[in-house]
Amino acid sequence: MSNLSDRPSHLSVYIPPVISVSRLVKRYGDLLAVDGLSFEVGAGEVVGFLGPNGAGKSTTLRILAGFLGQTSGTVSVCGHDVAADSLEARRQIGYMPEAVPLYPEMRVVEYLAFRAELKNVARAKRAKAVDAAMEKAGVADRATSLIGKLSKGYRQRVGLADALVSSPPLLILDEPTAGLDPNQIRDVRKLLRELGKEHTVLLSTHILSEVESTCSRALVIAKGKLVAQGTIAELRKLRRSPALVIVVRGDAPKAEATLAELEVFSKIAVEADGEIATLRCAWKKKADAAENTERAVAALVAAGLAIRSAAPEQSTLEDVFAELTSSESRDRSEVAT
Amino acid sequence: MKSFWPIFKRELFAFWVTPLAWVLGCVFLVVQGLHFSVLVKSFAEMSSVESDQTPIQAFFGNTVLLYLVLFLLVPPMTMRLFAEERRAGTIESLMTAPVAAPAVVLAKYTAALVTYAAMWAPTVLYVVILQRSGFVDWHVVGASYLGVMFVGAGYLALGLLMSAITKSQFIALVLTALVLLVLFILGIGEFVTRDGTMLHDICSYVSVWAQMNDFASGVVDSRRLIWDGTLVLLPLFLTTRVVDSWRWT
Repeated sequence: MSNLSDRPSHLSVYIPPVISVSRLVKRYGDLLAVDGLSFEVGAGEVVGFLGPNGAGKSTTLRILAGFLGQTSGTVSVCGHDVAADSLEARRQIGYMPEAVPLYPEMRVVEYLAFRAELKNVARAKRAKAVDAAMEKAGVADRATSLIGKLSKGYRQRVGLADALVSSPPLLILDEPTAGLDPNQIRDVRKLLRELGKEHTVLLSTHILSEVESTCSRALVIAKGKLVAQGTIAELRKLRRSPALVIVVRGDAPKAEATLAELEVFSKIAVEADGEIATLRCAWKKKADAAENTERAVAALVAAGLAIRSAAPEQSTLEDVFAELTSSESRDRSEVAT
Repeated sequence: MKSFWPIFKRELFAFWVTPLAWVLGCVFLVVQGLHFSVLVKSFAEMSSVESDQTPIQAFFGNTVLLYLVLFLLVPPMTMRLFAEERRAGTIESLMTAPVAAPAVVLAKYTAALVTYAAMWAPTVLYVVILQRSGFVDWHVVGASYLGVMFVGAGYLALGLLMSAITKSQFIALVLTALVLLVLFILGIGEFVTRDGTMLHDICSYVSVWAQMNDFASGVVDSRRLIWDGTLVLLPLFLTTRVVDSWRWT
């Protein structure tokens, strides 16, 4: 991450990042929504803005989009400060708000024509821009429908078409897949990957797999602070299962002792119900999960226990956050200060 | 100010494509039509023309009916303008487009004003009907419509401000009605305060009743216009500040 001091001198060609956020703070009364957030997004990147609900994602995106003012810190979009040069900054952005608010009494094509005019698309190009946006977002077949009569999935697409209509260099999408059914989510993700080829995209989500499937990089925030940023490969490592859950039939203490002998588990919790016992075995930090799962199963079988199931415990986003915010994990990825 | 035009068009669209403007327009015209026919009838039944009033004067001035009509018409016209956008969240799409707050405010206001003017437009027919059977002083007609437009312009600006300070259309409606009521009562104060006191002067200055009497007699007093202009510009300025302030909530 570069900061102001390592910028090249004015003699060399310097391409500013598309988004540059520095020590951003937003306070709502007593509530600190964004707490000293700094990050940059370069041209052509598709960046996922990841965090649990209430982490400050929407607030940050709204500040970027020019809807809210920040308490302190600087934010610029394509080199335009969002506070000092607000109109020019807003011209660079196609923004889709979280709830995709639309005017229900307008038809899709009327709404998009209105938005195109509002975003200073030249009159001669307007009809074409609207058609192209509807085509890309997949709403061309509903062009003359009343927005109020559209399904949630289509409304989402109209919101996307609105963001695209002025062909802005930067797209900011606040939870673009929220409230959609699995098929629609798949469609939107596919569309996002397509859009990533032409636009810089910053999208927010609280779903880790969404970032994996669409983004090249992720910013993880919690409680208004950046807790990690890194590529998807780096994030995948963070998503490692924290524990192996084995259900055995037979002598529970014996099973526990057998597993403990392997010395790959930091903690083994046993829950016995008759002759069935469930063992939750937390991995040690450096243990290889795949190889040691095989070893654990083999050892239990050798000890004469019958195995009902052995499965990795699913790590939730909260686990990832817990891991990210704990001090041992700071070496895993670049952590903001 | 580039964004004035698209927002203005959309607001007009929102007025006329939903039933709102049509319902209000119909009610307005029914009330005005009744008002007019009652007036014409009573003038026609006079055995001799002793009155120094003409039907036009009686229609626009010296009547509480005109005020009542505005009182019922303006709040539902303006309540939606900002409150609904904030409730539905569309304000977020609107304000994240490259638009300046004064352009948004002016565009919404102008759309309301044009709609208001359009509702009055059919009443010109009444004057045409009068002209077919008698003499009509078009200067008085012009002055009367000027008065109606100026009074309405001020009320609409107040309504717009009320719509900007709440997310509820209903509260915007009630607040607007309250403000208009207070203004009216201030004007009535002209009749209950003692002549020569400052309060009396103030009351007669802001009285919509007195203003419409003047205008309906063809007297266009610039002091009245200054007061009306204040009622337009001050709320519009405040509305712009309110719209700007949303960024900091």
